[in-house]
Formats: sequence, C-alpha cells, structure tokens
Amino acid sequence: MKFVIFAGTPGSGKTSIIKYIINELKDNFKLFFTKFDCLHTSDDEFISRKYKIPASKKLAGELCPDHYTALEIPKLIKENQDKDIIILETAGLCLRCSPYIKEGLGINVLDITSGNPERYGPILTQADIVAISKGDLISQAEREIFRANVLKVNPKAKIVEVNGLTGEGAIDIAEYIKLCSDIGKEKLHLKHSMPSAVCGYCYGNRIINEKEVHQRYLAGKELKKIVPNLNCGKCGFKSCNEFIRAVLDKKAKKEECPFIKQIKKK
Amino acid sequence: MNQEIKKITILPGVDKLGKEENFEKIEIKKGEVVAIVGPTGAGKTQLLYDIEKIAQKDTRSKREILVNDKIPDKEWRFNPKRKLIASLAQSMNFLTDMSVENFLKLHLGARGKRTRQGLIKEVIKEANEITGEAISPEMNLLNLSGGQSRALMVSDVANISISPIILIDEIENAGIRKEKAIEILVEENKIVLIVTHDPSLALSANKRIIIKNGGIVKVLNTALKEKGIAHYLNWIEGYSLDIREKIRQGKEIKNIEIYCEPIKSKKLT
Repeated sequence: MKFVIFAGTPGSGKTSIIKYIINELKDNFKLFFTKFDCLHTSDDEFISRKYKIPASKKLAGELCPDHYTALEIPKLIKENQDKDIIILETAGLCLRCSPYIKEGLGINVLDITSGNPERYGPILTQADIVAISKGDLISQAEREIFRANVLKVNPKAKIVEVNGLTGEGAIDIAEYIKLCSDIGKEKLHLKHSMPSAVCGYCYGNRIINEKEVHQRYLAGKELKKIVPNLNCGKCGFKSCNEFIRAVLDKKAKKEECPFIKQIKKK
Repeated sequence: MNQEIKKITILPGVDKLGKEENFEKIEIKKGEVVAIVGPTGAGKTQLLYDIEKIAQKDTRSKREILVNDKIPDKEWRFNPKRKLIASLAQSMNFLTDMSVENFLKLHLGARGKRTRQGLIKEVIKEANEITGEAISPEMNLLNLSGGQSRALMVSDVANISISPIILIDEIENAGIRKEKAIEILVEENKIVLIVTHDPSLALSANKRIIIKNGGIVKVLNTALKEKGIAHYLNWIEGYSLDIREKIRQGKEIKNIEIYCEPIKSKKLT
C-alpha cells in the first residue's frame, strides 16, 4: 500500500489537481481518498460520486489538524488494507507543521502567488514533491524566480508545475505516485515533530492572563492523568483533549468518560 | 547538459479516438516559428505537453519526440532544474513589487548567471522596440501598462530564460508590435510555438500545425502569398499602434497612410 499526503494552504488548488490525479490512477489501482479539514468540507462526497472511489472526511474541529491527522493515520491504514493507494488531503495550516510521513509520499501544493517560499516551514521544506499551482497567473520570469527560491529551501524537491483548471502536471504526479515505495508493515514516522502544545490555552483557556492560563493548565493536567488518552471517542468527543476542554468549560461532565466512571465505581 | 537543441522532431501518435495520426514526421528547427491552431479543447495543450516532456510513446497521445534526430538523454526529461519550454501565458501583469532593473537582476540571479549591466540594458532596449511606451529601468513593475509588461516579458524570455523553446499563448490584443516580438525571439535562436487564433500571427509562422480531436490532422508550410497577407495585416496593426501613440501624445490625426512597405526578403539560414 502506498500512502500519499497532499498538504497546502487553503485555496492553493489541492483538490482540483487531486481530481485529475485520481482520474489518472483510478483504473489501475484501488484508491481511497480522505480529506482532513478544520470545519467543513464536502469534497469527499464529490470525489466519491464523480470517480466512484471510496472516500471519507475528517474534521479536526478544536484540534490542531496535523495532530489529528497523525492520530487518525493508523486507523485509516487498518480500515483500508485492501487498497493500493491512500490519498490524504490536508490543509496543513500553521506552516510550522508537516503532516508528511517518512514512509509515504509528501506533496506540497504551493500557490505561486503566495509570496516568498522562505516563509514556509516544514510543509514545504520536507515535501518530496512541490506542486506549484497557478503559474499561468504570472510571468515566465517570476515563475523561474519562484522555482529557484523553492529549490533554495528544499533542494531535494521534485518540482511539478500544475494547473487545477487544465490538469497540467497531473500525469507527472501520478507517475511519481506509481514509483513511490509501499509503506510496509514497520512503524511509520513523522518527517517532522509537531509543535509543542502544553499550556493552558491548549486546554481551552480564553482569558489572556498568566495566572488564569496556569490554573487552567494545572486543572487540565489533573484530568489528563485520569483520562485513558486513547482517543476512543466513547465520550462523544474526537479526542481526550477535546473532552478535557469541554469538562473545563463546563460543557461536559467528567463521568461521561466511561473510563473515569469505572475508576469512580471502584 | 550543455547539449544544444538544434531541432526537434515529432513522430505520430494517436488522436482521442485512438486513430493514428496521418503524417510521417514534423521537424522544427531552431529559429523557426510554428503556429498551432485548432478549436478549443482540440488537444493543443497535449502537443505542447508532449514536447515539454519529450514524450517517448509514454503520454496519452503516444507521440514520440526526438531531439537532434536522436532519443534524448533521460537528463533532459527528469532534471528538475531545467524546463525545456518557457511560456508566455495570457497573464498581462507582474505581481512582484520591484523596479524593472532589480527584477531583471533577480531573474538573472535565479538563472545562476552573473549580472551584466549591458545585458539588462539590452533587455529593456529590446522591450522598448516592442512597445510604443518607453520603459525605464527605475520604473516599478506594478506600474507598467499591459503593453509594457508584455513587451518586457517577451524581451526577458528572449534574453534571460535559458529554455530553448518558447511557447506563446494568445499574444493578441496586447497593444504591442507582435511582428517585432516574434523577431526578437527568433533572433535569439529559440524555437517558437504559438498557440493562436490571430490571423496575422498564424500566417507569420513558418508553418502551422492543425489539430482536431486530439490529433494532428494537417501541417501547412506557410505559402509566400500567405506571408504577404500576414505582412499586410501586421502593417495595419502596427499603423494602428502608431496612431494610438500619437493620440496619447495629444497630436491630431490629419490623414491616413495607405502605403505598406513591401515584405523584406530575409536571409535563409
């Protein structure tokens, strides 16, 4: 099984180019498409309907989308053992993150009008392929300068110029996907560590104040010790952290977590 | 890598319905201009794609492209640092906020060439031969008019880009001297491919490839008479540009010129 991750800022043209790539691959491979987004998406339904391949969506909500992606990858692999290629699209939002995994193929869709590539972090620098989109909006000279700047921050990148309207570049990326190696049975690794997330704000604090945030952090830490941290979803929340935030915001009760309930019974 | 492209050859593939294309081979030499014509969606882009990728019967069209009569090294196809085709797309504006001179320096830098004051002057000088409104080195790119931007883009591609093949997509209506623009590109020994519906451009080319249903259906060498017609059309357009400039300068237009200089014979290469 091959695992391909597309990341890029919203509006860079990820979905448009993925459609063409799926069209190139769908006849010869069993595909699965999954879209990670923050609040809303219906691309999965569209792709599933149009190309007749199974698809799903995952909304990160209150969670950092890249943390959420990493948490969900093992489940995706487990549920799709019969597939040849899993295509994951994610809006890797903060640019500090990199959702790519070492064993798979990481593709950054980069809007050429989005300014200097040096502003981007691991989302660009760790990508195996950089798909530069919207090149038709600017001059040849600017395209060449942009290309050189991308190679400055990511010298190993394979650069493909793509066009989401005409499908230019889709064949090249499909070729790279065919050539990339399978993920195998070994453990998967993130290409880059996630940003640290260890303060009271991560537990949902909204008051900007040192004391408040520290207190929220301590309260969160206490709960963190007793929840199972398995993100099993039995409480109705996607992850334990989200559940802790809800408890601290008084939107949920501790006892809604079946594990905490068991501890109490004993 | 320093291998020069002197000639590309297109060998036939199949059209969208799988029918074989009816030609033996199409040869395009350096310094030649080829127009690609056909209705929208006919497959013009696929042809350009085949050339760019130096297709070896491995693209949808199954065409084969030879460089200098040979199957080229893989290097040509897969090196990420080079692109065979530089393109002048329909974009008429720059996005970079910078002076013309600094921008050209930046582009030279990206190409890994040393900045040579003379070259930048030359780029601007040639751009000014294409547009009626003079560009100066200290102007900001964002303030250039459509015609000035276009002229600078053409001159930049001719002089700074190292890509040996230039693709021009619909250069019409740009308010520039098209004939001059093409001349500058050809002088730099580029292979020029023009996708166009513009009659004067299509007829200015050395030959034109007609595409239908994803396949090349015909290749026409431009007849002498057609060249004459193209020259006349270009003269009319150039004359209209002259009047446009005069009006902009506040002059009155009193009479109309009707004399078009006969076509100049060009040295055969």
